[in-house]
Amino acid sequence: MNTVEVQYYAILREQAGRSVERVTTAAGTLAALYEELRARHGLSLARTQLQVAVDGEFADWQAPLAAGARVVFIPPVAGG
Amino acid sequence: MPGFEFSDRPLEPAALRRALEDPACGGFATFEGWVRDHNEGLAVERLEYEAYAELAVKEGERIVAEAVSRFGVRGARCVHRVGALGLGELAVWVGVSSAHRGEAFAACRFIIDEVKHRVPIWKKEYYRNGDSGWVNCERCAQPTGSEHAHEHSHPHRPETVVARRPTAPDYSRQTVLPEVGAAGQARLRAGRVLVIGAGGLGTPVLSYLAGAGVGTVGILDGDVLEASNLHRQTLYSLADVGRPKALLAADRLRALNPDVDVRAHAERADAATLPALATGYDVLVDCTDNFTTHFLVNDVASRLGKPAVLASVYQYEGQLQVVAVGGACLRCVWPEATADGLVGNCADAGVLGPVPGALGSLQALEVLKLLLGLPSPARDGIVLIDLQTLETRRVAARRPAACATGPCMRLPATPAAAPDAEVPAAALARLAAEGYAVIDVREPREAQAQPVPVPHRLLPLARLLEDPAQLPAGGRYLFVCASGRRSRAAVEALRRAGVADTWSVAGGLAAIEAEVTTA
Repeated sequence: MNTVEVQYYAILREQAGRSVERVTTAAGTLAALYEELRARHGLSLARTQLQVAVDGEFADWQAPLAAGARVVFIPPVAGG
Repeated sequence: MPGFEFSDRPLEPAALRRALEDPACGGFATFEGWVRDHNEGLAVERLEYEAYAELAVKEGERIVAEAVSRFGVRGARCVHRVGALGLGELAVWVGVSSAHRGEAFAACRFIIDEVKHRVPIWKKEYYRNGDSGWVNCERCAQPTGSEHAHEHSHPHRPETVVARRPTAPDYSRQTVLPEVGAAGQARLRAGRVLVIGAGGLGTPVLSYLAGAGVGTVGILDGDVLEASNLHRQTLYSLADVGRPKALLAADRLRALNPDVDVRAHAERADAATLPALATGYDVLVDCTDNFTTHFLVNDVASRLGKPAVLASVYQYEGQLQVVAVGGACLRCVWPEATADGLVGNCADAGVLGPVPGALGSLQALEVLKLLLGLPSPARDGIVLIDLQTLETRRVAARRPAACATGPCMRLPATPAAAPDAEVPAAALARLAAEGYAVIDVREPREAQAQPVPVPHRLLPLARLLEDPAQLPAGGRYLFVCASGRRSRAAVEALRRAGVADTWSVAGGLAAIEAEVTTA
């Protein structure tokens, strides 16, 4: 099990009802982490519709999840 | 030989005088202004001159030409220093040659008096007590009424306080910045910026660019002003509702700064209008509220090799990205172009006015940085700003090696024109009766708050886009959402999946309710 920090933005923050949380997870990849949190919080967006960043850099969904990672889920935003 | 010029190097009177030598002249008058060691009771150690060179040279030339024609002298010239000067140094030189001494003296006096009075030159004095202050900005010190146009306090000689409106903007508050100065102001003056969308993001961008003296500002917007725009679109007034925003904004900017060449393009930004229009500008600023246009602006900028400043907002948050030439672009961050309607815009999701205001102000700042040649962390990454918590986060993005030369490799060959996809709200009941399956693509809470008034199925857009094949290919579908935006995205997705007989209800629930009310 790894503990990571997860930050949500925009519609994800709204649906998750929080902007940051610490998550202890068995997920081995960023993709698995998102699917776990998507089910837990009822997030509407599919993984293919958003981007993920780890420690300030965009990351690949299949990248392994390391303990202490700061994970940010970034949905697209359109308003103006 | 120019009649008026600036020099950043010490002046040489002998050389200047030689240039005015003329066998037909019997008189030569000259005036030299020196740096003196005191001003208004304070001991001065050194000073600096700054000028808004482009405007100043024009005005200086005008003064010298006036002197020549008014006094009938044969030669006249004025050179003014800029930069740092020590005590005793020559700050300004005027020379006039003419047939007789009387005209030479008069013209020389006229030139120095007019230059002091009309040419935008600022002098910063450094005093022996450690203080410093800007003085001599006579041009910017022409107040309207009793308003004092600058902040330092010193007694004004009555003859320098002329109660008339300024005829040109005063950029001194920004040219004082070491990063701007006269050279930076000239760069802004030469800049040509196209602002796409004159709404919540666009109005602060437009105000700041015009105020800063960006030479050419284009406004591309096909919408008319609505009353619901006013809480966040600060250029407009209630009385403007119903008029085209591009024209309204252009009027405001011309009033704000007559020096700016303002070009209004009252049409939609689409694949037909933007590529041709963009060629006449140096920087594109995307202030629109939909992904189709975000990607279009990005792609056009990438194809033309021009930078673009992108921003968008969602409720209390914003994203800012500067696409520098050769840097990471929107498609580096979002390799799959995002469908409209997947996440809300200002109309669907709501927004407080200052949120696009803050992001638009940042866009204006990024444009000025680009024009001034200043660095920015908003390039090669996106900046996420949460205005509820005031937290800012930058996520770095890299341009793929495959894009290293030339435009983005992910650009579509040609932007596709949207096929006809809509039916009017009035046709909803009839088409439902004819056997079209009505599908509400809003979120459950929206559907609960405002139900679709015919039998239907709820399938939020995000769920639908995950797997369009969950709707059988042989079916006939009619999509409904709040405004017609998400339902249109649903139609596009299904048609891409090969389901042809599928339509979006134009205007969404808002239009359906209006039908019910007027029926």
